[in-house]
Amino acid sequence: MSATALPQISARRRRTDKVMRGLVLAATIVALIPLILIIYYLIHKGLSAWTQSGFFTTDPTGSFFGSPGGIRSAILGSLEIVALATVISIPIGIGVALYLTEYGKEGWFANTVRYFVDVMTGVPSIMFGLFVYIVLVVGRFGGSGFAAWKGAVAISLLMLPIVIRSSEVVLLLVPSSLREAALALGAQRWRVVFRVVLPTAGPGLLTGSLLAIARGMGETAPLLFTVSTAFGLTFSLNQQMNTMPFLIYNDITSPRAALQTIAWGTALTLVVVVLILNLVARFIASRSRMA
Amino acid sequence: MKPRPIALIATALVSALVVAACGSSNSSTSSAGGGAASSSSTSSGGSSSSSGSGTINGAGSTLAAPIYQQWGSTLKGQGLTVNFNPVGSGAGQTQLASATVDFAGSDPSLKPSDKSKMKGPVLQFPVAAGAITVSYNLSGVKSGLKLDGPTVAKIFQGTIKTWNDPAIKTLNPGMSLPSTNITVVHRSDSSGTTQGFTTWLSDVDPAWKSSVGEGKDVQWPTGTGGKGNSGVAAVVKQTAGAIGYVEQAYALENGFTYAAIKNSAGSYVLPTIPNTSAAFLGIKVPPDLGISTINSSNPGAYPIVSQTFLDAYKDPCKDGGTNSGTAAALKKFLTYAFGAGQQTLGAGSNQLPYAPVPSALADKDNTQLATMVCNGSPIS
Amino acid sequence: MEASATSVTGGRSALERSPAGRLPDRVLKWGLSALAALILILIIYFFIRLVGQSGHVFSTYGISFVFGNDWDVSRSIYHGGALLFGTIVTSIIALIIGVPIAVATAVFITELCPRRLRGSLSIVVDLLAAVPSVVYGLWGVFVLAPRLLPAEKWFASTFSFIPWIGGGIPTLYNYFIAGLILAIMILPIVSAISREVIATVPSENKEAALALGATRWEMIGMAVIPYSRSGIIGGAMLGMGRAIGETIAVVLVIGSAPKIGSHLFAQGYTLAAVIANEFGEATGIHTSALFAAGLVLFVLTLIVNMIARWFITRGSHGTRGTGATGMTIASGPAGEK
Repeated sequence: MSATALPQISARRRRTDKVMRGLVLAATIVALIPLILIIYYLIHKGLSAWTQSGFFTTDPTGSFFGSPGGIRSAILGSLEIVALATVISIPIGIGVALYLTEYGKEGWFANTVRYFVDVMTGVPSIMFGLFVYIVLVVGRFGGSGFAAWKGAVAISLLMLPIVIRSSEVVLLLVPSSLREAALALGAQRWRVVFRVVLPTAGPGLLTGSLLAIARGMGETAPLLFTVSTAFGLTFSLNQQMNTMPFLIYNDITSPRAALQTIAWGTALTLVVVVLILNLVARFIASRSRMA
Repeated sequence: MKPRPIALIATALVSALVVAACGSSNSSTSSAGGGAASSSSTSSGGSSSSSGSGTINGAGSTLAAPIYQQWGSTLKGQGLTVNFNPVGSGAGQTQLASATVDFAGSDPSLKPSDKSKMKGPVLQFPVAAGAITVSYNLSGVKSGLKLDGPTVAKIFQGTIKTWNDPAIKTLNPGMSLPSTNITVVHRSDSSGTTQGFTTWLSDVDPAWKSSVGEGKDVQWPTGTGGKGNSGVAAVVKQTAGAIGYVEQAYALENGFTYAAIKNSAGSYVLPTIPNTSAAFLGIKVPPDLGISTINSSNPGAYPIVSQTFLDAYKDPCKDGGTNSGTAAALKKFLTYAFGAGQQTLGAGSNQLPYAPVPSALADKDNTQLATMVCNGSPIS
Repeated sequence: MEASATSVTGGRSALERSPAGRLPDRVLKWGLSALAALILILIIYFFIRLVGQSGHVFSTYGISFVFGNDWDVSRSIYHGGALLFGTIVTSIIALIIGVPIAVATAVFITELCPRRLRGSLSIVVDLLAAVPSVVYGLWGVFVLAPRLLPAEKWFASTFSFIPWIGGGIPTLYNYFIAGLILAIMILPIVSAISREVIATVPSENKEAALALGATRWEMIGMAVIPYSRSGIIGGAMLGMGRAIGETIAVVLVIGSAPKIGSHLFAQGYTLAAVIANEFGEATGIHTSALFAAGLVLFVLTLIVNMIARWFITRGSHGTRGTGATGMTIASGPAGEK
């Protein structure tokens, strides 16, 4: 940078300063407008769906002319599928991250794993659905064509790289001094991992997991060709199941005003769930020492 | 509070194994056809196998989707769950060919090339016919618009661009037509409705036949695409001056106005239910029941009537990978389809706006259904 | 401590463990290694299947699949040029609209905003990333597209002298709406990364500029932007990678026309959207063509992300991948693709 001093601040420079700062402020407000509009419309149109009788307690009827019913099967279906995806991807994801930070470190194998996981985060989510389609759905693996558990597998494939990477970051933040102290006291390696590393990283791991779950709940593309849809309520993981994103996606192209209202109501429900997960994750992160 | 990862991994593996085990126990179909031995197709408190209750999955025609969705709603009370995914006739056939669904809804009959893609012999059952309306969104023109084949063809080719074009005016003397641009709306997905519409256009307009032709998918010279009958209806509803081809149920649901179309006898006919049913009279019924109701020669018939089929494997257990319980459920659904279900179709205020199949055809459906088997043995 | 560390029994140190005692350690190590290996194999298998399914169409068309311009399902002809065009055009629109605004918000939040508001404002901007893609689609179809149509018509006729941008008749769903929604979707990630990068500017640089008499804006222009330029470009490229792969929001508002649109407000198609629309009905070579479209998409994303990472690494001047920056990049483009 030049060492010569700048001249006295002229009126022109003051004006430029004010104008540019005003523009930046304006741009920030512009950035917030879509969010405000989306929330406004979600509430405005979604609440009228929420207040319909039976919106949360009945299933979609699928009847063309009569009442469209509610979205109960979609809510429970989403929860069930994402729960299964969570059970699959979070332990495996944290396990792989543990390997990378505790054992693999900078070795060639660990770096290969890291590289491929990185690459996976760039894959469009629909490709996971297609992969599960050709591997599991087409061959009727498990005795069913489209099935809820296959959709859960697709979603867990999507969540896995996110969990691995965010967990790795958090695990790396655990101070080595803690590990070394435990080892010096005679603890075995596995005890160090379970009693020192994981508890310390706990809040961060939880944050990363919650964000991954929030992501999984909102996904539509992986479900399109793996779970398809159903109207009625089913808990069977080996059957087609209704889900919130799929229901919204289908109802968007319906000309029927009643179904469009249902779509808004479902969208509001979905956004509320996702926002709660996000805010809880942030809250945990902000309280943790290692945020 | 913090679960040990190893415990979680173990739980995950165990649950995955349990799920897979539950699933694979349903895939064994080799046991005796009567099916007391095989577990039910739904693992959630499943009802017993051979009583024809359970869950069946179908996909396909959006033209007929209102029917199957309504029937599904009714049959749920009888213990039969029918899931139908309206993805278009083309996708329905593809999914049946991969055996990812138990039945397909298809408007066009199966061509030999379609049959060869299937895993085994497929039965097709005509269950209804629907009128394909030429609906439009034009304020000020609420009824009485007449169109003939060549004019419709030119509109959909983009040669006629505005509503007050001389060709349209000639057919509608005395009607005041605005100068609004015509926005053509067609299907973006592989569609039996498109097949029906373009088959009619090819029949009545040689220029269309040589330039665009017919098919479930065609290369549209102009216009906007919508997915499914409902997608087209949605675009027509939102766009002033739009014209599109939608099945009657969708047109009625949205309060569309549609044109009276010139039929093969030269009269301008509206798609009422009697005019739709008239398309069934006098058609040839081939042995595989692959009928066509397009451009019927019956003088009272609406010209753009599309039949619609339910397609299923002749042996769903062997070729479709289902168990005997699902096969029995499928048979129950099909029996309803050309039995009590036909009462739900018609012109009455509680009925769906489709033409039911004539009773002679329904009899043929039943005869064909009796040939359906599960691993070689008849289904109870 | 008391006794000596040298062994008493069997040649081992008193502090050493018996082989049996070290079993849990070995189980853990080999268990986790096996897990990592399994995941690696799964990922590689995924790519093998992806490439394998695309093989048919590439062997039929070769590279003209990617650049040729004729995607006609009815005649079974598959050249994805128009799709590639749509993907790139909508992403560029997203960058042109989204990046300046995102960087502006980042500058505002880190430099100009009152300290108390900083946290809440960041959270609000980041909340845009939490909205699922299908909800963006819903909002785009029912709110944005119809409301903007009159403005688009005015713009196209007023600026009809600009080639490709103006002069056409806007349709309800077009490249512009898709690009605009993508811009909104990439805003949070570009803003978050820009904020991280701007926050790493050493205060000495900023204070030096101020001490020499620069106005606030001049300080930003002299000290902050040049220092963080690489990182911001990297963030923008990550945003582009996100825009390229976005499927659901785009398929609802792009108009699904497999042609190269003649103007900004014409209908188009993208590689991701065509997969969502056509996969259900595809057989044989059509399926292969859709997988190939996915492969092209993936390769494109890979290239863009690699470039992005290079810029970000260059730009963070040695503080790579730790702490908050790492967490942001690690959690990746949140929300849906």
